[in-house]
Amino acid sequence: MKRKWGYAVAGVAVLVIAGAMIYQALATSLVYFVLPNEYAAEPERYDARRLRLGGIVADQSVAFDESDLRLTFLVTDGIVSFPVSHFGAPPDLFEENVGVVIEGHFEGEVFMSDNVLVRHSEVYEAEEGVIDVEALRESLK
Amino acid sequence: MTDATAPLRRPRWMTIYWVAVGPMFAIAAYLGLVASPRDVNQGDLIRIMYAHVSVAWIGFVAVGLTALFGALYLWRGKRGDDVRSAASAEMGLLFSALTIVGGMTYSKPTLNTFWTWDAKLTLTAIMVALMVGYFVVRGLIDDPVRRGRVSAVVAIVAAASLPFNYLAAEWFRTLHPAKSVALDGSGVTMDGTMLGVLLFTTVVAGLIYLGFMLERVRLGRIEAELEEARTRGAVRTVAPEGVVRV
Repeated sequence: MKRKWGYAVAGVAVLVIAGAMIYQALATSLVYFVLPNEYAAEPERYDARRLRLGGIVADQSVAFDESDLRLTFLVTDGIVSFPVSHFGAPPDLFEENVGVVIEGHFEGEVFMSDNVLVRHSEVYEAEEGVIDVEALRESLK
Repeated sequence: MTDATAPLRRPRWMTIYWVAVGPMFAIAAYLGLVASPRDVNQGDLIRIMYAHVSVAWIGFVAVGLTALFGALYLWRGKRGDDVRSAASAEMGLLFSALTIVGGMTYSKPTLNTFWTWDAKLTLTAIMVALMVGYFVVRGLIDDPVRRGRVSAVVAIVAAASLPFNYLAAEWFRTLHPAKSVALDGSGVTMDGTMLGVLLFTTVVAGLIYLGFMLERVRLGRIEAELEEARTRGAVRTVAPEGVVRV
């Protein structure tokens, strides 16, 4: 029985230490995206390399040219903003003041994006108004 | 007169259980697909969330219980704990694989990608890989005691990733949205009706897990007994005609 307790305590200790190490490793090296102010602080570190930039689509900054499918907007973290140029249509849930993660690289001060991912909030709200049961029935026919 | 096969027979109440769960599943589908209000941002896509989140939660429970029964097996060495651990592992693998399938379905129209290597998704992929490893290990080891011990350790390692996975979006920068329901009751950022529907679908997912657990543990017990009888030599396995034993 004593030996069992020894093994159990040792096992739990190993798991806790491993967990703490995994947490440290993930928290420091697994940076899924870079914030605009982090890039601005040391741009040479990311020197023309491919990176993910995360932030909010700035208010009233979105423009979409339908003729050449060029989407432009400002991505901001509230401290620094960068203009983004993306080839392609905006995703469905893309709009101003929504969180985004964009993949691409910097050309000068402009972030050339080839992928816009939406990072929506964890807030889920019902749409205004009651459900129109009749319309629903019609649509199900 | 005693019937030797009586303990092997499937009890009637298991069928009744499934007959009861069936309509609840239908109600859950109705609540999610029809009764739930549309989300202000996502519209009808919110309906995928009920399946994705409830399955993910129960998957976590299943993997956690796999480790718990595994730890109990390591502790007291009762064959039943290993049987329960393996049964829960099957559901853990199924539910976590479904979590990824549902997550991809949900993620493409909302986040604009099927997959990305952020902390939450990566940890879930690792969890699925470990659960596959659990069964690879079980298949490789013939000695039941060793098999139970090694697979229990694999299960405990898989379960160790659960808290990181659960809190990944809070602790790390992820694409996956953060939690809307905090277990400590500190806050729910979800419409009341939506939360009700989600809790109901989670209960149904839990009942499906429990049902399969009961079925699988029953079968697992029979398998274990047969295996023990074979090693004792009490049951002779007769090879079918034409099969040459080497």
